[in-house]
Amino acid sequence: MKNFYDFKVDNIKGLSAQEKKFRNKELDLFSKNGFPNKRQEAWKFTDLNTILSKNFFNITNDNISVKEKKFELIKEFDHNYLFILDGKLVSNEFKFEDKNKVLIKEYDYKNQISVSNQNSLNLLNNALATGGYYLEISKDYKFKKPLVVYNHFSESIKEQIISYKNSLILNENSELTILNYTDTNSKNNFFVNSFDYLELKKDSNLKNIFINKDRCNCYFHNYLKSDLKQNTNLDNYILSTGLKFNKIDIEINLNEEHAKSSIFSALSLGSEEHQEIKSSVNHNFKNCQSYQKIKNVLNDQSKGVYQGKIFVKQDAQKTDAYQLSKALLLNDNAEFDAKPELEIYADDVKCSHGSTSGSIDLNSIHYLKSRGIPEKKAYQMLINGFLSEILEKLPEDNLKKFLIEKIGRQINGY
Amino acid sequence: MKTEDLKNSKEYKYGFTTDVENIRAPKGLNEDTIRFISKIKKEPKWMLEWRLKAFNRLKILKEPDWQKPKYPKINYQDLYYYSAPKGTSGKPKSLDEIDPKIIETYKKLGIPLDEQKRLNGIAVDAVFDSVSVATTFKDELTKKGIIFCSISEAVQKHPDLVKKYLGSVIPLSDHYFATLNSAVFTDGSFVYIPPNTKCPMELSTYFRINASETGQFERTLIIADKGSYVSYLEGCTAPMRDENQLHAANVELVALDDAEIKYSTVQNWYPGDENGVGGIYNFVTKRGACRGRNSKISWTQVETGSAITWKYPSCILQGDNSVGEFYSIAITNNHQKADTGTKMIHLGKNTKSKIISKGISAGKADNMYRGLVEIKNKASNSRNYTQCDSLLMGNKCGAHTIPYIKNNNSTSTIEHEATTTKINEEQLYYCNQRGLDQEEAVSLIVNGFCKEVLQQLPMEFAVEAQKLVAISLEGSVG
Repeated sequence: MKNFYDFKVDNIKGLSAQEKKFRNKELDLFSKNGFPNKRQEAWKFTDLNTILSKNFFNITNDNISVKEKKFELIKEFDHNYLFILDGKLVSNEFKFEDKNKVLIKEYDYKNQISVSNQNSLNLLNNALATGGYYLEISKDYKFKKPLVVYNHFSESIKEQIISYKNSLILNENSELTILNYTDTNSKNNFFVNSFDYLELKKDSNLKNIFINKDRCNCYFHNYLKSDLKQNTNLDNYILSTGLKFNKIDIEINLNEEHAKSSIFSALSLGSEEHQEIKSSVNHNFKNCQSYQKIKNVLNDQSKGVYQGKIFVKQDAQKTDAYQLSKALLLNDNAEFDAKPELEIYADDVKCSHGSTSGSIDLNSIHYLKSRGIPEKKAYQMLINGFLSEILEKLPEDNLKKFLIEKIGRQINGY
Repeated sequence: MKTEDLKNSKEYKYGFTTDVENIRAPKGLNEDTIRFISKIKKEPKWMLEWRLKAFNRLKILKEPDWQKPKYPKINYQDLYYYSAPKGTSGKPKSLDEIDPKIIETYKKLGIPLDEQKRLNGIAVDAVFDSVSVATTFKDELTKKGIIFCSISEAVQKHPDLVKKYLGSVIPLSDHYFATLNSAVFTDGSFVYIPPNTKCPMELSTYFRINASETGQFERTLIIADKGSYVSYLEGCTAPMRDENQLHAANVELVALDDAEIKYSTVQNWYPGDENGVGGIYNFVTKRGACRGRNSKISWTQVETGSAITWKYPSCILQGDNSVGEFYSIAITNNHQKADTGTKMIHLGKNTKSKIISKGISAGKADNMYRGLVEIKNKASNSRNYTQCDSLLMGNKCGAHTIPYIKNNNSTSTIEHEATTTKINEEQLYYCNQRGLDQEEAVSLIVNGFCKEVLQQLPMEFAVEAQKLVAISLEGSVG
C-alpha cells in the first residue's frame, strides 16, 4: 500500500537544532508504527489507518500562512473568547474579566510536555505541533462569564494535518467554564491531531465543554491529559459534533484527596459519522470520585465507540467510581461498541459500570402515536428524553440554552 | 517431600503421585513426535495428515501476548507430548485388568468406577494422563445409540463423525494453543447423541495430570444431534509439582436443531504454593456452536485451581432462536492469576445469551473477567444480559473487568453490568456474633455470592464445588 502521508519536520520554521533533533526522533518513532490500527488495544474498534488511507491521498504538514479572518461570534450569551485559526492563536478578548488575573500567550514548545505513552498519534503530535495556546488563571479568581475557544479552520485547508498543543493551568481556588467550539468553512478533508493539558490546583473548578458548529469533513483526534490536585473538580461535557471522525482520548489523574471528575456525553450521530470517547480515569489517591455517563443516539451508518477505563491504585481506598454507557440504535447499519473496563487493586472501593445498547422502545412509540403524535415527532421526543439526562447537567443557563438548541437541531434533522 | 507426606498434606488434598511406569514419546515438538503419537494411536492416514497440517500452521503462528497474566517462556522442545500408563496397549476388558494403583488413585479422587458408585448413575471415561483407561456404563449408553468413548477410539470406529465435526468449531488455523493441540492432542472424550435422545445420565470425565513435564493436550468433541440432550461433567485435580505444567485442551461442542448441551467444569488443579512456585498453566480453548434452530449450549465453570487460568468458553449462536449461557465462578488466592470469561457471538435471529460471572480474589492474586458480546447485523431481535461481580479480599489482590461489547443491530439489546466490592463487614460481624468463626463466615458469604452459578451445577458437582470454594479461600482472611 502506498503511503498516504508525507510529514517533514523541516516544514516547521524557526526551530533550534535541539528541537529539530527531538522532533525528528519522535517522527521516526511514529513512522515505525504509522497510524494506529485495530491491533492496538486502544484502537480495538477503529482502524484509523484504513479510514485515513481511504479518504486521503497525501496528507502533509505544509506550513499554512495564517490570515486574520472574520468569524461569527455567538450572540446568544455573553462570553470571553480566544480565536484560534488553523491551530494558531490569533486574537483574544477578556472584556468581562480582570485582565491582570488572566495570562494568555502562545504555547511554548521549549518546555513542552512530552507524553510518555505509546499512542503513535501523540508521538506525531510531539513531532509536528505548532501554535496552540497557554492559559493560566490566577489564584482565587473566578471567571464571571464562560470562555469560548473558537477553533476555526480556514477554507484553504486540504489534505493537511494540523497539530497543536494547548495548556491550561488553574491556580488555587480558581474557576472557569470553557467551551471548545469547532467551526470550519472548509468542504475539504483534513486531519487535526491536538494535545491538551489541564492542571487543576487545589480547590479549583473547571467545566470543559466540546461541541462542533456544523457537519464537516474533518478527522479529529484530541488527547486530553489532566492532573487534579486536592479538592478539585473537573467536569467534561462532550456533545454531538458532526465531525466525520472524532476521537477524544481523556486521561484523568486524580492525584490528591477529594478530587472529583466526570465525563458526560450526549451524542446524536448520523450519516457516516464516527465518534469515539476513550477515557482512562486513574484513581491514584484515596477518597476520590469519578463519574462517567455516555449516551449515544446512532442513525444511518454511524458508529459510536466508548472505551472507558477506571484504574484504582492499591492505596486508593474509599474510591467511588461509576461508569455508564447507553446507546440507541436507530438503523441496522449503525453500530455501537463499548469496552467499559475496571482495573482495581484496592479493596475498600465502590466501583461499578453498566452498558446497554438497543433499539428505541416501540411500545412508547405506539403510545405516543395513539395519542395523535406523528411517528417522526414521537421518535424525536423519545430521543430528546434519552439525551436530556445529560443536557440537564450543563452549566450556566444561557450557555445551556444555546447548547440544547444546537443539539435539538441535530436531533430534529433526523 | 515424600509421597507419604504429600498424602497427609492439608494444603492440597489431591497432591499425590502414583508410581506407574510410563510409555513416553521422546521430548520435543517435531514431525516425528506427531508421527509417533499418530502411530501409537493406530490412527488412519487422514488423521495424521490433519495433525501435520496443524503443525505446519503452528510454525507461522506466534504465541499470544495480550493477556494480563504473564508467564515465563515455555520451552516447547523440552516437553513430553505423549505419556501413557503402561499396559494399555491391549485395552483391558474389565476393571480387574487395570493396574490396582490406578484404581487406588481414582478411589482417592472419588471416581465412581466400581459397582457401588454405579448407583450414582455416572458413566466415567477416566483419563489417566493421556489415555482413557476404562469406560463404564457403555452398554447402557450403547442401547440408546449414544457413543461415549475416547477420541482415539472414535477416530478408528466413527471416522465419518469425527471427520465431519473435528475442527469445525475450533478450526486448525485458530490461535497458537488451539493449533498446538490440534497437532499433538493425545486423548479426550468423544460424545455423540443420536436424534431425539435424552442422555439418561450425566457423562463425566476426570482428567488427571500425572507424569512430570507432560503437557496435557486433551481433545473433547461433543455432538448433540437433532432434538437431543446431554449433560457433561468435567472435573480436574492434579498432583503437586514444582515445575509449571502446561495444559492446552480443546473442547468443541456442536448442537444441531432443538438440541441442548450442558457442559460443567470443576477445575481444581495444583495452583502452586503460597509463594507462587509451581502450578498448572491452564490454557484451554472451549467453544460451542449452536448450529441448529432452537439449540442451546450452557457452560458452567468453577475455577479454583491452576497457577494461571486463561480460557474463554464461547458460544457461536448460528441457528435462529438459539441460546447461549455462561455461568462462572473464578477464585484466585495467593499468587494465582485468572483471565477468563466468554464470547457470545450472535449470528442468527432471536438469539439469546446470558452471562453470569463471579470473580473472587484474595491474597496477591489477580482475577480478570474478559468477555465479548457481539451482535451481528443480521441477528435481529437478539438479546444479551451480562452480569459480572467481583469480590476483593485484602488490599494486595486485583479484580478487573474488560468486556467488549459490539452491537450492530438496531432491534437487538445488550445489557451489561459489573460491580466490584469487598465482603460486607456487617455481614461478617453478624455471622461472628452468631458463633461462626471468621473462615466459616467468609465461606458462607462467598457461597451466597456465588449461589447463582452453583445452582446451575448438577447435584454431585454442586456439593463438591461448595467445599472447594471454602477450601480455596482458607487462610485468606484474618
